[in-house]
Amino acid sequence: MKKTLIAMALAALAGAAGATDLTDDGTLKLTGFYNLTGARVLSGKAQGSGAPWDYMQWKCPCTVQNWEYAAVYERSEGWQVNQESLVGFQLKKEFSPTLSATAQVVVRAHNPGHGLTPTLDWAYLTWQPAADSAWTFQAGQFRIPLYYYSDYLYIGYAYPWVRPAPDVYGWPIYAYQGANASYRTQLGQSDWAATFHMWAGGYTQHNDTYDTKIYYATPTHESWKSMVGGYVSANNGIFDVRAMLMHYKDTTWQDTPAGRVSFVDGQSTRIAGLSANVDYKNWLVKSELDRYEQVDAGKGLNNVYKYALVGVGYQYEAWTPMYTFSRYTTVNEPIEARNTQYLSLRWDFRKNTALKVQYDVSKDKSHYSYPFFGDSRLLSVSLQGVF
Amino acid sequence: MNLQLLFTRRRLALLLAAAALGGATLTARAELAIIVNPQNPATRMFPSQAAQFFLGGSVQFTPVEQAEGSPLRAEFCKKVLEKSPAQVEAIWSKIVFTGKGKAPKEYKSSAEVKKAVADNVSAIGYIEKSAVDDTVKVVAIVP
Repeated sequence: MKKTLIAMALAALAGAAGATDLTDDGTLKLTGFYNLTGARVLSGKAQGSGAPWDYMQWKCPCTVQNWEYAAVYERSEGWQVNQESLVGFQLKKEFSPTLSATAQVVVRAHNPGHGLTPTLDWAYLTWQPAADSAWTFQAGQFRIPLYYYSDYLYIGYAYPWVRPAPDVYGWPIYAYQGANASYRTQLGQSDWAATFHMWAGGYTQHNDTYDTKIYYATPTHESWKSMVGGYVSANNGIFDVRAMLMHYKDTTWQDTPAGRVSFVDGQSTRIAGLSANVDYKNWLVKSELDRYEQVDAGKGLNNVYKYALVGVGYQYEAWTPMYTFSRYTTVNEPIEARNTQYLSLRWDFRKNTALKVQYDVSKDKSHYSYPFFGDSRLLSVSLQGVF
Repeated sequence: MNLQLLFTRRRLALLLAAAALGGATLTARAELAIIVNPQNPATRMFPSQAAQFFLGGSVQFTPVEQAEGSPLRAEFCKKVLEKSPAQVEAIWSKIVFTGKGKAPKEYKSSAEVKKAVADNVSAIGYIEKSAVDDTVKVVAIVP
C-alpha cells in the first residue's frame, strides 16, 4: 500500500508541469497535486508523565495532524509516511466559454474504512452569464470554504506549512452538496478587489471518522443541514482580508439496539471566521480568529469553541522560513484546549515542487480527567507539488 | 550644430556603453509595455494594479501570458508581479483546485499575445515596448 502510493507520487513528479490537455481542442484538461509527507513524534507526555498511554486506538505519545481522516502519528511507529500522503486529480471540461464541469478525486494513504479507494472531493458545474461576467454560479459538491485554508486544505503546494494548523482546521463535516454564487468587483478606483461568495447546501456523513474514531469509539453519524454561509474577501496585492459566517442545523446520532440516540437534533449552529494576511516585499503575515457556537440555554447546550492563529514568514529567494502559533479552546468544563508553535521551512527547489521541513511543539491544555492526545514534539518532512 | 542629433548620438553611445559594461543583452533589458484592447476604456494603470490581474486577485481584466520560460515572462514576474514563479504558481494552484478560476492562457510570442488582446475587449497582456503597434493600447510602461 505504501509502495503503491510512493510509485504514484513519483509518477506525478515526473509528469509534465501544468495542465495536460486530453483533447486537441483544449476543452478537457487534467491537473493534479500531491503531498508525500513523512513525520515522526519525537517525544510527548500527558498529565505530567512521559510514560506511554493509550488514547482511543492510538499508542501515545501521539499527535493528530488531520481531524477529517484521523491522521495520527504515534511515537512507537517511528517515521510514518502513511498518514497524510495523497495524490489528487482534477478533470475539467469546458462546454463553452460560460459552462464547464469539474471533478476532483483524491487518493489518500490513510482513509479509514476505504483503503486506497479515491474520494470524490469536488464535483460541480460552473456557469457564468457571460464569459467575463462578475457573477459565477456553481452547483454540485464542494469543500466548505469555512476558514481561510478550509477549501484548499489538501493543496500543500499553495501554502507555506506542511499542513494548516490542526488546532484550527478540522471538522466532522467538511463538504456540502448544494449551490453557490460569487460576485467579484473592483472597489471604485482603488487597488482593492473584493469577492462576495455565498453557499447553501447540506451533507451527511455516516460513521464519520472525526466523531467515531477520535471521540466516541462507537459508530457515530453527523449531518449538517440547511447550511447557509457567506464570506467577503478583499485584497489589494499586499493586504488580504476575509470575513465568513455560516449557519446550519446539526444532527449527531448513533444507532443503538434500542434505537436512534441523538446527541443533537437539528440544532442551530454558527461558525464565524476573520482572517487578515500580508504579503509585502519579502514578508508574510498570516492571522485568523475563528469561533464556533452551538448554544441553547433551554437544552443546556453551551458548545463554544475559539480558535486563533498567527504566523510570520520571510521569503528569501527559494526559501520561506516561518514561525506560527495556534491555539483552540472550548469554554465548558471539562475544557479541551491546545497551544502549538510551528517552525517551518519551505524550499521551492524545482518548478512546481516544494520541499518542506517543520517542527511542531504542542501543549495539551485540556482539563479531561483522562490523558487525551497530550503534549508532543513532531518533526515533519514533505514533498509537495502540482502538475 | 544640430543639438537634437548630438543628444541622440550621445544617448546611443551611453546606452551601448552601459550594455557593454553590464554584459546584459539589450533584449533582457527590454522595456515592457502592458497592453489592453484599443476598445477598452482603461487609459493608464500602475504596474502594481496590472499585477492583480495576473495573480487572480481581480477579474476586471482577463490576463494573457507569455510562454513559460520566456525571458519576457521572467522579467514581468520579477518587475511587475514582484513574486517568484513558485509563488505565482502557488497562488494559481489555490484558485484552480478550489474552482475559483483558471490560470491565464499562454501564448508563444508577443505577436500572438497582441492578437489575443486585440480579439478580447477585456484582455490584458504584456509585450516588449518595441513590439507595440496600433492593434493594441498601452496602459503602462515598465522600464
